[in-house]
This record gives sequence, C-alpha cells and structure tokens, in this order.
Amino acid sequence: MPCERKPMRYGHSEGLTDVCFDDEGKSIVTCGSDGDVRIWESLDDDDPKSINVGEKAFSVALRNGKLITAVSNNTVQIHTFPEGDPDGILTRFTTNANHVTFNTSGSKVAVGSSDFLVKIVEVTDSSQQKTLRGHEAPVLSVAFDPSDEFLLLAIPVDATVQLYDRNTWTHVSTLSDDLSTQVVNVVVWSPCGKFLAAGTVGGNLLIWDVEAKLCVERQKHEKGFTVCGMAWHPSGGRITYTDTEGCLGLLDGVSSASAPTSSSTTQSTKATAAKETNDYDDLFDEDDDRMMDEGMSDSRSPVKKALVEEDDDDDLMPATGRARNRASFLDDDNSQDAASVKPDKLPEADGSSAILPPVVPAVSRPVYEGPMPTPPQRAFQPGSTPVHLMHRFMMWNSIGIVRGYNDDQDNAIDVEFHDTAIHHAMHLTNTLGHTMVDLSQEAVLLACEGTDELASKIQCLHFSCWDTLKEWMVDIPKGEDARALCLGQGWAAVATSTLMVRLFSIGGVQREMFSLPGAVVCMAGHGEQLLIVYHRGTGFDGDQSLGVQLIQLGRKRKQVIQGEALPLSRKSYLAWMGFTAEGTPCCVDSEGVVRILNRTLGNTWTPVCNTRESCKSKSDHYWVVGVHENPQQLRCIPCKGSRFPPTLPRPAVAVLPFKLPYCQTTTEKGQMEEQYWRSVLFHNHYDFLSSSGYEIDSEGQSQAQKEQQELLMKMFALSCKLEREFRCVELAELMTHNVVTLAIRYASRSRRMALAQKLNELALEKANQLHEEEEQEEEEPAYQSVARNSQFNHVRRESRGSSQMNGCDDEDVEEEYTQEEERDAEESPEIKKPCLNPFKKGAKSPERPSPKPVNREVCANPFKVSSAGKSSGSPAGQSRTTNVLDSMTMSSRKPAALSGTSKQSKAPVLKPLAPKAKSKTQATLLQMSATKVSSKKQESQSETDTVKRAPAATPPVSAENTENRKPKTGFQLWLDENRKSILGDNPDFEEMDVIKEGMGRFRTLTAGERLEWSEKAKSESDPKKRKREHGGEEDEQMKSDESGGKKKKPLDSSAKLSAFAFNKE
Amino acid sequence: MDAAEVEFLAEKEIVEIIPNFSLDKIYLIGGDLGPFNPGLPVEVPVWLALNLKQRHKCRIIPPEWMDTEKLEEIREQERKLDTFTPIPSPYYMELTKLLLNHAADNIPKADDIRTLVKDIWDTRMAKLRLSADSFISQQEAHAQLDNLTLMEINTTRSFLLNSLNYMYKLRKNLQPTRTHDY
Repeated sequence: MPCERKPMRYGHSEGLTDVCFDDEGKSIVTCGSDGDVRIWESLDDDDPKSINVGEKAFSVALRNGKLITAVSNNTVQIHTFPEGDPDGILTRFTTNANHVTFNTSGSKVAVGSSDFLVKIVEVTDSSQQKTLRGHEAPVLSVAFDPSDEFLLLAIPVDATVQLYDRNTWTHVSTLSDDLSTQVVNVVVWSPCGKFLAAGTVGGNLLIWDVEAKLCVERQKHEKGFTVCGMAWHPSGGRITYTDTEGCLGLLDGVSSASAPTSSSTTQSTKATAAKETNDYDDLFDEDDDRMMDEGMSDSRSPVKKALVEEDDDDDLMPATGRARNRASFLDDDNSQDAASVKPDKLPEADGSSAILPPVVPAVSRPVYEGPMPTPPQRAFQPGSTPVHLMHRFMMWNSIGIVRGYNDDQDNAIDVEFHDTAIHHAMHLTNTLGHTMVDLSQEAVLLACEGTDELASKIQCLHFSCWDTLKEWMVDIPKGEDARALCLGQGWAAVATSTLMVRLFSIGGVQREMFSLPGAVVCMAGHGEQLLIVYHRGTGFDGDQSLGVQLIQLGRKRKQVIQGEALPLSRKSYLAWMGFTAEGTPCCVDSEGVVRILNRTLGNTWTPVCNTRESCKSKSDHYWVVGVHENPQQLRCIPCKGSRFPPTLPRPAVAVLPFKLPYCQTTTEKGQMEEQYWRSVLFHNHYDFLSSSGYEIDSEGQSQAQKEQQELLMKMFALSCKLEREFRCVELAELMTHNVVTLAIRYASRSRRMALAQKLNELALEKANQLHEEEEQEEEEPAYQSVARNSQFNHVRRESRGSSQMNGCDDEDVEEEYTQEEERDAEESPEIKKPCLNPFKKGAKSPERPSPKPVNREVCANPFKVSSAGKSSGSPAGQSRTTNVLDSMTMSSRKPAALSGTSKQSKAPVLKPLAPKAKSKTQATLLQMSATKVSSKKQESQSETDTVKRAPAATPPVSAENTENRKPKTGFQLWLDENRKSILGDNPDFEEMDVIKEGMGRFRTLTAGERLEWSEKAKSESDPKKRKREHGGEEDEQMKSDESGGKKKKPLDSSAKLSAFAFNKE
Repeated sequence: MDAAEVEFLAEKEIVEIIPNFSLDKIYLIGGDLGPFNPGLPVEVPVWLALNLKQRHKCRIIPPEWMDTEKLEEIREQERKLDTFTPIPSPYYMELTKLLLNHAADNIPKADDIRTLVKDIWDTRMAKLRLSADSFISQQEAHAQLDNLTLMEINTTRSFLLNSLNYMYKLRKNLQPTRTHDY
C-alpha cells in the first residue's frame, strides 16, 4: 500500500483523545482527557494553541469557525474557532457524550452519547433536535455521510461497521474485513463520501470503499494502542488519528492510494449505488421490512420496529443479536448484487473522476424485480417469548407458566401451575441451557440445542410418575438439534433439525419416528393428537408457506391432515399454534387472526377472531395463551406496544370473545347468522370427541343444539317478516325435523300457505331421510347384536327351561326362543342407536339433527304408518308423499275406532308379511307374540308373564306402538268424531283445511269439554296394549294356516340375521 | 359508625383475582361467584379475595386505579385544586390498606402506592379540616362538600358534630347574656 504512515507524536496526556481538521485542512485540532483542545498547524508544530474547554474533552468537531466539544459535564459545548471563546451549550445528555460530528454543510451536528442516544442538532438553533433511539449500547461514534444519505453507527460489540439509512433507520449494509477481528472503535467518512475509515481497539486503521464493500487500506498503529480519534483531511488525502495514550498520528496519501485500486469501479458502483440503495430501501421498506424482521424470528420484532419506525417508542429492548443477524442476512444479498453488477459496468468505466456528486440518476440495469422470497420463519414454541430475552416466558399454556431466567447471577427455570392441585411450583437450575419447554398435566419436557461439545438433549420431568425416578434424559444424535417439542397424553414429541420427528412415551421409551417434508415451525399436542407445522416451501413477498400435519396417535393411528397448506393472513407468520381445550386445532398469525379447524367442512380453517380489532393502538397486541370452545373464550394477554408480555410485572390474562367475520353483522340478520355458525363451529368438538371415544357432556350438546335451532327459528321468523319465503325454506333445510314442524306452524299461523306447503314437503323429505338412515343403521348393527344376543338367549333359555315346571315341549321352547330372538334383534339396534347415532348423523348432515332417541321417535312417527307396511327396501310409497298433517290425522283416526279397525288395519299389514321371509321384523313380532299367547293360554303363568312383559318393555321401541300413541291427542280424537260434520259443511275441503277448520271449532269448545277429550285420549293408550294381545286371538285363523310350518317359521319370517344366530346356537 | 364498619362495607367491593384452583360456580345470597378456573381472572368481592389470598389460593389483581402513575396524577390534581377531586374508588383508602396489608406481593410498587395514597389522604384531610375551620369561623349554616368518601366523612363526623353542638350551646348561652346587657 502506497499510503504513508507518519511517526506519532505526543498530543495529550493519557486518555481518550479526538482529532479533526479545520475547514481548509490547514490545522489539526485535537482534544484529550486533560480537557484541552489543541490546534496544531501541522504534525510537526511544537507549539500548539490550547483552549481549555472543560475537565475532560471526549470529542471535538470543527466547521465554519465553530468548535464543538463533548465534555465531561455531560454537555456538548460550542466554542468559536480559532479564538476559543465559549459560545454556549449545544445539547445535554444524561451522561457523557462520546462523539460529535458535523454534516457536510456544517448545519447539523450529530452527537452520540453513552445513554444510548444519538442526537442531531441544528448548530444555529439548538432547540431543533432530533433524537434517535434504538441503539442498545453506548453510542461510541457517529458520522454523517457527506451525501446525507446515511448515518453510521459503529456497533461496538462487533468487528463490523453497519450502515443505516438515516431517514428510515433501516439497516443498509455491513462493512467488515476478514483480517480484522478487532472491535471497531471509531469510524469516519471521507469527504468524498466514498470511503470510510475505521479505527479499532487493537490499533488497526481500516479504510473501506463503501460501495464495493472492500477494505482498501489496512494500517497498524505503531504501538498497537487503541485508536480513539480519526479525521479525514478535507481534501481526502490524509487521515489523522489519535490514540488513548494521547498520541497524534497522520496517514498520508490515503486517497491517492486507494484511488487507483478502485477508480475503475468507482463510477459504475457510484452510479449504481443510488439505485442499489433504492432497491434495498424498497425491499426493506415499511411492511416488507417489518415482515422481514418479524418473519426471521418472532422474537426480534418489537425491537426492530422501534428502529425501523424511528419513533420514540419506549419499548426498547436489547437488540444486539438481531442487528447482527439481520446484517448477515443482508450481506448475502449485497454481495450477490455487487457481483452481478460489476461485470456489466466495468467496460464503461473510464476512471476519470473518483468523486462524483452523490446523487446520480439511476442507470437502468437488469435487476430481478419479481416477487422476493421471504425468509422462513424460525421454529418456536407456541406460548413462549423470544429466546434472546434474559427473562422470558418459556411456556404459558392452560396448565401453567414456565419462566426462564438467564442473567449474570442465575440461569434458572421456574415452573408454576395455574392449578396448584396438579403440582407445586418448581425451580430448576438450567445448567444445560434449555431453551424449549412444554408443560402438560403429567410432565415438563425441556430441550436444549446442541453445542460443539454437547449433544442436544431432551429432559423430561415426569412429575406424575408413581415411581421414585421422576426424571429422564435423552441425548439426540450428534449433528441433530431439537427444534420444537410438545407433550401429549402419555407421549412426547420432538422435532429436530434433520427434519425428523421423534416420539417418546412419557416414561422415556422411544417410540415411532418419522420424517417431515420441511423444517419444523412448531408442534402442539393434545390427548392423542399431534399437530405439526412445517415449511412446505418458500414463501414470497412476505408470505410464509407452511404446511400442517395432524396425526392421531392413539388406538386409531392415522394422519388426519396430510400436509395441507396452513392458511395465514397476507404477509404474516405463525404466532401461535395449538389445540383448544376441547382438542380442536387452532392457529393465530402475526396479524392477530385466530383460525380454528372446521372438521365438518373437510378440515378447513375458519377465522373466528381478529385480536387486532380489540387493540386500542396500532402497536398493541394480544398474546394468545389458550383457546376454549366451551365456554367460548380466547384467553390472551394484552401487551401494550409489543407483541409479547414481559415477565414482570406479572401479566394478567384477558378473555376475548369470538366473532366470525361475517358480512353485515350490524344487521340483525347478520348477527344471527354469525351466532348460528359460530355456535355450529364451536360445537363441532362434540362430534369429534364422541367419535374418538371420549365422554361428552351430552347436556351441553343438546343445549347447544337447542340454541342453534332457536337461532334458526329466529332467522326463519325474521325472513318470514321480510317476506323472503325462499330464504325461509333454505333456513328450514338447516333445521331438524321437529323444528320444521314448528316452522310449519309458524308459517301457517302467519298465513303463508305456499310456504307452509313447501315446508311440508321438506319435512317429509327430512323424515324419509331420517328413516332411511335409521334403516341403514338397523341393518348394520343387527349382525353384532344378534351374535351377542344368541349367547345371552342361550343362557336365558336354559334358566327358563328349568323354571317351566309344566314341562312344555321342545317345540314351544324353540318357538318362544326364536320370538325372543326376533324381538331382541329388533330391539337391540334401537337401543344401540343413542350411542351410535351422534357420529353417524354428524357425519351426514352439517346441522346434526338431534341424536336423542326421544326426538327421533317424534320425528319419525307420522310417517311410520306408511313405511311400516312397506318392506324395508321399497321406495317411498304414496303414503309417504302425503303431507305431515294428513298422516297425522290418518293415524289419529285409528285409535278412535280402535277395536273395530284393528283387524282391518293389521290385516293388510300382516298378510303379505306372513309368507314373505324378509318382512319387517316388528310386524312379525307382534303377530307371533300374539298368537303365542292365544295358543298357549292354558300354559304356565310364568310363560305368559314373560311374553306380556316383553311387549310391555318395548313400547318405546316398537315403532307402531309409539306411532299409535303419539297422535292420540284430545283434539285428534275430537276431530275424528267431527270430521264428517266438517266435511259435510264444506265438501270441497282438503285434508289441511279440514284440520284447520277443526282447530277453529275445537277452540270454541269449553275448557271442560276439551279436557274431556284429552282425558279420553289418555285413556286410549292402555286399551291399546290390551288390544294387542286380543288382536292376536282374531288373527288366530291366520296363524293356524301357518302353524304347520311353525318350525320352519323362524327361518322364514324372521330376519336372516336371527336365523343365523339360531343356527349358530 | 366506626372505621371498622366502613372497612366492612368496603369489603364488598369487587376485585379481580387469579385463582389457582378450579371450582364451579358458587351460589351465595349476594349473587353467584365464579366459576373459578385456574389461571383465569375472575371477579369476586374483596372479602373473598382476601380470604383466598390468605389461604394461598389466589393472586389478587390490583384495581386499575392502584397504579403509581394514576395515583400521582390524582395527587397532583388534589394538591392543585381547593375542592375535593373525584376519587376512582369510594373506598380507596380502605382497599389500599386491605390489599396492601394482605397481598402486597401481588401489587407492583406497593410501597409507592402506600405513600401516594397516604399523601392523597393527608391532602384531603387537610382540606377537610380547613373547610371545617372556615365553616365554623364564618358561622355558615351549610357547606357543600363533594367527592368525599365514606371513610373521610366518618373521621370528622363525630368530632365535628359534637363540637358544633357544643358551640351551639355556648353561643346560646352567650346570647342571653348579651340580651341581658341590653
């Protein structure tokens, strides 16, 4: 290097010194810890002029006859130059100012101080101040870029110099030198703005070409003292410097030295410099920029924002780590760009002038202007605050809180349980440096990343363990680091850096392991479900591209969600992921949108809440800690001006309501729609839980259904009022059958006949559907139940055989047995229904008609009349298409003419049945039990008893029975009596009209009369049972025809299944 | 009415606690409380909060006004104005005392709060004495004092009423003598 280093000379006493040139470059001005400012004509000047400015002078700057010094009484003073008269105080700090500097025009002064602030002050008017916050350590040195483009901060913890754009405070680039690993102490811009000189602690002097990011000059201090002051000669050719020993030195020919090496590239790089910076600015501007930071690691976001926005946010936090990270990330970009630019531009460069006006119109160059890839978000533990914090929450979930302390005195972990009944609080010393924690009812799982010597470890404190060793530890193979972990019920999962998920039992047994398609983002466990989110690709323009897997680990092992994309808001990243207390996966993104998995709509994600809407100010956030579906609660911690809460003061949990972003929620309609679908969505977990074999709160479920149906009814009424009849029908489609009947009543009452008619059709359809489903179910479970019953019956039969003292013959016993079997076969599916239905139904219809057996009977009844007569396979007959009310009256007529019609009504049912093998079991059952009673009247009492008891026990089960019972209201009885007279009066009346007319007339009756009718209706139920047995007598002849084939009958007339069971026996 | 009674009344004020146990709703004459979910804030009367706190069953979340910044503001306001300023809670003194005595560990800057509330209290008492003094010296028939809390009224009531009675007696005795003079 042709640069010449002049010998050092004594300047000041030992201590911090600073140096600068005057405007013309004639004299060198220094200051030192002796409080003097000395003005040297040249390096050889033996009699410098001294001005005492204070006890100690830390820094000096000179421009336009003003000498600015930073002195030890925490002020920045102005003196006139060269006279040295005090000219007032420019600004003050709470502690020493470290460095002062002018901008090119001399109008502004930048001052960096030990209280982490940088102030930019107008020289002429010291009230015009701008304070820059955001640096996390004493600012040791500041410099203006001569083009006013950058303000430069030398981060004292690193061997690099970082450039920030002064206007946006975005980090633009980093200068570093491979050979210099010493901490940079001071930086100065060359007057041309092209070079940057830096002095290091170890006495190295470095000069960079800023655009090329090349270190063009390296010089060593002759004694290796710390360089603490540097200044460029205004012509740019010389640098003076001072050290902490008070010596003054000079580097000559710097610019000329560096010019040849870089002049060829100067112009081109200079020209593109503006462009480049623009690009960067664009790139990291505003949203993009924020996204980028936050995306890179959730932890760093708030601090970064403080920097980016350059506002005086008071939430300053240590930002050292992030600035560095950021820098390295940017560096890559820069170097790439530079490399691609240079070859293009070199031929054009003529090397004429190295110094160009700083702003040159941007030369067009081929740049990639498509979507930019987003840095993938880093793995995190949901419910934890950033790792770099000294005091942080390592986990906050529904079980408890885990806090991590990592400061000078202590490296510890505190585990605290919300419910002290689970376990008492724990204090662990964190010798391994765990960074990841999960907490469940059973255990605490901790993991640390590996270091050079130590492998990554997983530690589990299994406090619910009943043996004495409550702790286990597992080393992960070398080169593999734990990235995320979670606990489920009886298992633990750890995702590692080698894209692997390892499963452990909670006691420490290694279980399955599998590979992930991408780097893990986070994991969550609940019961037997494991939820994994990973990067499935590169996101662009601030978006993340995440995939999600949901795996069922228990008995039914399966992958429920197979790596589908996880929807997030635009330009956001995942902030929280987990399960609701009821076990539904749920995620929260950085935009505050909470999404919940909708299992009934093909595992889609439905946004249920936007926490940002409840925030008062833009910088406030809610930190989600848990989601509950019943009651509907979003538990989160409000954070003022940050994304996550500090550990102290202890934050309090707030509860937010859910609100689905439906349209027009200001209107009544929108509100009810939102309520309805929210209710549906948040009660999906009942289906899931019952299908995976958990107990469910059936009371809560039925209540939820009631609520939903009520809402539907309200919406129905509203649409009715608005005369939107089509909409009414649409709504009715969502209703359960018995609510539809309510709706019909409402419609007919509000005189909407067309609507009522439509609804009638709908109701029929629904009933048919219901019935078909029922039949399907009947067929399926029959197998199991019969098989089960056959054993049971066997035992029963034997016991009964012994009890039959009269010694009935084998045949009889056989017959009785088969009858019972039939009955059982018929009975059992019905009994089973309540437990089977919930998921069967749930899977089929989104609105989940009530699975309660009581409801279904009511629903099914009016239509059973017709269907009971048909064989199960037959399509809907005529009687099915009649409307509800018709069928109701039909059935109601029957009990009225009870004894008389019973034969007729039954006969057509029975006749086709008897020869047919595949008849409805229920019909045969009735017939056979009846015949049996009649033929064996003289037999032992015990036997008749059992038979009697049997039908008595099954009334709610037997469809016909219930069907008969239901319509027997007083009104119907009355109507049957009076139908003729009504029809006589109005011969052209339809069935509906008859009923309506009948209703009107019935109402005119006195209360006493009405009571009479209802009494009558009640009394009707008992004779019916009797009738059944007597009816058997009348059927006797019929019976006798078949008596020959008695033995064969069980095989013929009963369902195949019971025959099967019989054979088995 | 003595101070203990006022304190008793203050105990039915509502505060938020974070229980560390789980319990269904409890049905009391005064209303239903709960349900208590561990870790989730729930509103209960002070008497229950203190009881639970003493049994280490909960953490108390201090009322919103129990915050140094807000109290400082009130103190400044109180010092600036001659009249009584509105106080965030009608039982501020009692609640401060109760909560700080029993749950100081749950209240950030408990000592500062104690001092601030004491300051506010002292200022208000001084004002009260001053107004009582001017009330008597000017022999007013009535005075309007807004924004006084129960406890404050209570401290001065017995004394003021008694002394007014005495003064009334004295004046009555004084007047006949004067008339005698005439």
